[in-house]
Amino acid sequence: MKKILLLGASGLIAPHIIPVLEKDYDLRLADIKDHPDGKPIQTVDVRDYGQVREAVEGMDAVMNFTVLRHDDTLSFQVNTIGAWNVMKAVADAGIKKVIHTGPAQTLLLYAHDMDVPVDAPDAPSSDYYFITKHLSNEIVRSFARRHEIHTVCYLFQGLAPRPTEPASKTSTRDFLIIYDDLAVACRQGLELPSVPGFYQAFNLHSHYGPGKYNLEKAERILGYAPQEAWWDWQRRPTED
Amino acid sequence: MNILITGAASRLGQAVAEALQGHMLRLMDESPVDLPGEGDTVDVPAESDSVEGSLLDQDFVWRAVRGMEAVIHTGEPPQDLPESDVEREKHLLELATRGTHQLFKAAVEVGVKRFVYGGTLDLFRPYPDDVYISELWKPLPEPDMPAMSRYLGEHTAREFARDYMVTVTGLRLGTLVCEEEVAGQAPDLLWLDYRDAAQAFKLALERDASDQVWWTSRYAIYHVCADLENPKYLINQARNLGYAPVHNFAANWKD
Repeated sequence: MKKILLLGASGLIAPHIIPVLEKDYDLRLADIKDHPDGKPIQTVDVRDYGQVREAVEGMDAVMNFTVLRHDDTLSFQVNTIGAWNVMKAVADAGIKKVIHTGPAQTLLLYAHDMDVPVDAPDAPSSDYYFITKHLSNEIVRSFARRHEIHTVCYLFQGLAPRPTEPASKTSTRDFLIIYDDLAVACRQGLELPSVPGFYQAFNLHSHYGPGKYNLEKAERILGYAPQEAWWDWQRRPTED
Repeated sequence: MNILITGAASRLGQAVAEALQGHMLRLMDESPVDLPGEGDTVDVPAESDSVEGSLLDQDFVWRAVRGMEAVIHTGEPPQDLPESDVEREKHLLELATRGTHQLFKAAVEVGVKRFVYGGTLDLFRPYPDDVYISELWKPLPEPDMPAMSRYLGEHTAREFARDYMVTVTGLRLGTLVCEEEVAGQAPDLLWLDYRDAAQAFKLALERDASDQVWWTSRYAIYHVCADLENPKYLINQARNLGYAPVHNFAANWKD
């Protein structure tokens, strides 16, 4: 069973995918706060290189779900210094697989475009949060190329549980990924034997409408596809 | 013009200040900066003042940009850096990212319209030497902090041209040396004399595209190094600014 370090294990994302991933992987959960379901957590502040280096020891892969967005100073420190520390520790420990995460960086620039490729260039804007996550992607990409660390970067706009019913006439399905799909994508990323160019980013989603953000690349490289077709969530009631 | 120069105590910062005669300069650094009458080492414009503090100090940065019309962010690191490798890297990374963001954010808020950023040509080092590299080539920054920090700062600066009606000009500089001091040494394709770098900053400061509707016009990037007979790094774009380096290490290349 592969040993995986999961950073940010108590945050907004990881607790929702841990129940799926822990069936297949030996997870080391790390965060600065307690896990919401009481799972054992190794205290790791990604701003502290020593703590990160210790946490990656003996791991086969690292998943970085750390993020901080409510304060500009902390955002820069956690998102950029944190990314540097994680990749430096990974390189130093000889680990060859990383899953990095962040927000979709394409939504603002391409808001009115269609057929946006899943790996369209980042357009983070001067907003401090998006900048910090964009810079972290650049840091990760650089380490991945230099040290031949097979790295996938998952970018998403929102996360949510599986819907219980289709959209109604007063609602739409936004650009978001449901937890089950993200867990599948994480497994696919961890099992991917090699990443072209050692780094690939994917704007992942579960049911965004046709012709907007296409998932062709994610399907081609990862084998990723939403578990349920997008139109199942867009059905309107009709008479047979 | 009222111009804020960061990293002003550095050798590059001082060369840039000397090249900007006729302007009112505010020389900013974490270390004390020599002013006219306080030392004979520099010849900065008389109408200058200096401010001492860190880019990471938000209040200090907000005070420093007040009244300025242009900002030259040299990207030069402070002289006193932590001794430990880990702490030094961390500090440089934070200065380049949060520091640059804080500086530009404060400056656009007080109405600064022109920005010049000092980046590095080191981003292209992984490419072989037998090619011509222009601004169209994709940077390949190595995870070494001196180059990586400049690259991240460049990206941070770029986003302000995307979002605001301001002119942001990035200069990717070669390796800064003084021609007289490297006499007799084996030449380097990346060499750039401090005085020519200062010339490029002065010319970049004259670029005014703040009223351009397209952000891609408000932002520009230029490669800046010596004018070599057989260069790796092309400076054609910088020539369009009027850049004409005079320290081209002819004696080094002749030997």
